[in-house]
Amino acid sequence: MSPRPFVFAFRFVLAFALAGAAGGRPAAASMDAHANAIAALADVRATVDEIVRIEDGFAVGHAAYVRAAHRALNALVGRRDDGYVASFGDSGDGVGALGHIDALLDTEGTSLWTPAIEGAKANVLAAAENLQTATREREMEEYQGDLTHALANLALVAGRTSQGGVFGGLSGALANTSLAVPRGAASVSGCGLPARAPSYGVVSERLAYVALPRADAATKLPGEIDVRRVVVRGDEVVLYTAASAEAAALCAHATAQRSTARLERTRHVAEGAHAAGLFTLPQAQAGAEVYRRYCIACHGADLQGTAGPGVAGTEFLTTAHANRWHLSDLRTTVVENMPFSNPGSLTPAQYADVLAFLLASNCYPAGAVPFPTAQRPQFATIALASSAATVRPKSKAGTCAVVPK
Amino acid sequence: MLRRTAPVVVLTLIVGITLFFAAPRLRAASAWPTSESYAGAAADSADWILPARDYSGNRYVSETEIAPENVAKLTKSWSAKIDARGPLETSPIVWNGTMYVTSSHNDVYALDAKTGALKWHFPYKPHVIAFSANRGVALGDGKVYEATLDGHLIALDAMTGKPLWNVVAAHDTTNTFFTMQPVPYKNMLLIGASNGDWGGVGYVSAFNAADGKRIWDWKTIPGPGEPGHETWSGDSWKRGGGAVWSGVAIDPGSDTLYIDAGNPQPDFLGTIRKGANLYTNSMVALDISGKPKIKWYHQFIPHDTHDWDPAMPPVLFEATVGGAKRKLVAAGDKGGNFWVLDAGNGSVVYHLAVSTQKGQSSEPDRKGDIACPNTNGGVEFNGGSYLPETNDFYVPSVNQCGLWKSAGTATYITGQFYLGGGFPSLSGPSTGYMQAIDMGTGQFVWRKHLAYPQIGGALSLSTGVVFTGGVNGDFTAYDAKSGAVLWHYATGMTIQAPPTSYALDGKQYVAVAAGPAGINFADPRFAKGTPTLEGSYKTATSAAITVFSMP
Repeated sequence: MSPRPFVFAFRFVLAFALAGAAGGRPAAASMDAHANAIAALADVRATVDEIVRIEDGFAVGHAAYVRAAHRALNALVGRRDDGYVASFGDSGDGVGALGHIDALLDTEGTSLWTPAIEGAKANVLAAAENLQTATREREMEEYQGDLTHALANLALVAGRTSQGGVFGGLSGALANTSLAVPRGAASVSGCGLPARAPSYGVVSERLAYVALPRADAATKLPGEIDVRRVVVRGDEVVLYTAASAEAAALCAHATAQRSTARLERTRHVAEGAHAAGLFTLPQAQAGAEVYRRYCIACHGADLQGTAGPGVAGTEFLTTAHANRWHLSDLRTTVVENMPFSNPGSLTPAQYADVLAFLLASNCYPAGAVPFPTAQRPQFATIALASSAATVRPKSKAGTCAVVPK
Repeated sequence: MLRRTAPVVVLTLIVGITLFFAAPRLRAASAWPTSESYAGAAADSADWILPARDYSGNRYVSETEIAPENVAKLTKSWSAKIDARGPLETSPIVWNGTMYVTSSHNDVYALDAKTGALKWHFPYKPHVIAFSANRGVALGDGKVYEATLDGHLIALDAMTGKPLWNVVAAHDTTNTFFTMQPVPYKNMLLIGASNGDWGGVGYVSAFNAADGKRIWDWKTIPGPGEPGHETWSGDSWKRGGGAVWSGVAIDPGSDTLYIDAGNPQPDFLGTIRKGANLYTNSMVALDISGKPKIKWYHQFIPHDTHDWDPAMPPVLFEATVGGAKRKLVAAGDKGGNFWVLDAGNGSVVYHLAVSTQKGQSSEPDRKGDIACPNTNGGVEFNGGSYLPETNDFYVPSVNQCGLWKSAGTATYITGQFYLGGGFPSLSGPSTGYMQAIDMGTGQFVWRKHLAYPQIGGALSLSTGVVFTGGVNGDFTAYDAKSGAVLWHYATGMTIQAPPTSYALDGKQYVAVAAGPAGINFADPRFAKGTPTLEGSYKTATSAAITVFSMP
């Protein structure tokens, strides 16, 4: 007998917990990371609700559609954003998913959940751009197209409880990382069995399990959770997460620093690329040499363009944002059309290296996994914009230097 | 930045002094070219006030002290440095002792035409979509007009270089830019849009020269219900291309504007745009007495799949054909064809191949196939010149082949190439021709096969001297009758700008701009240093306008 009915009932409880978190008018800065993530997710859902309501309804007249797009945008970006128009109202909490996400990314250092939240932010911005465009459309078909794009972006923001990294989005981060732990809740080592309940078992920022007292119906739960295994143990119910297997592997090799690093890499490979850490530093360094040989004549030593256009920095990223370029567009253009005088003449590895160099020059952070030699479907979801870059620019032009090996 | 600013500062000081002493004369001569000056430009041997001297588009000078007998003595008079971030394609405008030139990135320079001293410099920082290039300014009513890489039309004070107004003139700045030199006509500025490889639809526009307000547009791709629309399958016309890149010719007597519309797109994928794809790769004669109306058109290459647009600006001329005078218009395309049409009805009078042609009947496939010329081959954007004294037409050309590959699909990415494949890669030799074609018979009079592509356009002098420049930097004077090289000068930079001529205080000057090779005309040989008529040519990193005169 599978534990499915139990899981469904469990999700129901979670929905209540979420509704509670969305109430009131919180100030994002004073909220802890967990609360911000929960509130961001609630705002995303409020945004989706606005879109679904107008799409499923039978509203007549242009004004109703404009209003819906504005309300969705309000819930998503919050009062502090330029796109917020107060007169249309807001079914979110006023801070907006964007406000909460910015608060999350404002915290010092990076966490296991940072890439997921950065990915979510990139997709919030893409969705906001689509909603902004929708407010200006005159044709129904165009309007619906914009909303469809926005929904696709929002699905990625919300993410999936079963995944980590950028695909996990907010849900994935809440279900699989220490972001699940509310302020004041007990966090214990996830390597052993729970010593008490309620508690959160955590291993290297991974959420291995949530232990609940069996008789207690009042305990609030973290976001969503993809329960892979349920163990009833005396007075406790232990819910093992999607990340529990990885946590167990980490525990088994806890003493060996090197093997932890190897597992980290394995985890990244399994997930594919994410907005932070799309390439490795040695790869970007190799790409610098490819750039010097094949690209510099037209795009310049400072990457600001000579006979050809600029390819990194503020001007490039502003254009990328205005033209809604995604990583897939950058890759297509480079691989299909460059070098201009001999397109397709570089090896797949050289193309990957030079793309790594371009990302690094645009201040995207390096990670543990090399940029792949083939197009990945998820590249179509990674919007190129200065807000997605996380390393502080080093030059006046807004580029980051990549020092060759 | 420092490297570029320092000389400008020094020059500004010199200019300040020049202006101080020259002020009374400049004020007295504050008249500017008018409609009458433009219409009579052919008779004004002192100035050069339209892109190709006059509305005919023919770079020809009748009053000249330079002749086959003395051209060997021609020496450099002065040169002035120009911003070198891209190739120089500028055609200088000269009026009343001042020369106005542009850089690839839309910087404008006003220079003393006698000494090269800088009078003012207007810096500009446009967003570059793909190619940085600019073909020069227009001058009128105290203003210098420039159409920019970011789709703007800018008017500067011709005395100071200070901007007077700046309007967005392109309809879609994500895929459209301007390289063309604006052409003043009556109260208008005529400008063609460069968008033919980025998913736009080409057009030529008229703007009010007083304030930059749009007067009309003429789109090169017919929309639903318009004649010619049936030459596009499905919705392919919506991103059909047909950019108006190059210069235009005008017959002011009949208000006829001659334009060339560029290649269709996606450039290398014809299967998704079945049909002849009008009016791409066509010369179109428009009646512009009011809103533009087509008088006639001639399509040079129907359903082009190799980016072989008719790059050469039209040249209107009257020649003796079979013993009788006839009004003609010349064209040249990147497919290696030179065309002479009847200016009244567009019928073909002559058609010659001026570059090697191969594999022209098949479309690029996914495996790749060789076709000639290469995409930057054939007759390029500076075209040629007709010399009435010999009844010959002088036109340089590029002899290259390319390996073409179609991607099988075409994806429109805003602000990026819309090609359905990649640009071809050079396959085999890269050479050029300079040739003279008899307009009485349509036969070659002489033909020189040169080691480098020839794209510098031609300037002919009534005494029988023809100037042109090659990508290896050689600026050469040919004997119009025999094709013999009478004089040459190594600029050390790639020449892809046309030669011009003007006169000051009884002295005649010949000017040409040169700079880095840029994207389209970089030659694999340049990096190694390659022998030319004088010394060797190495990849150029500077740009300058150089002016010659008799000692």
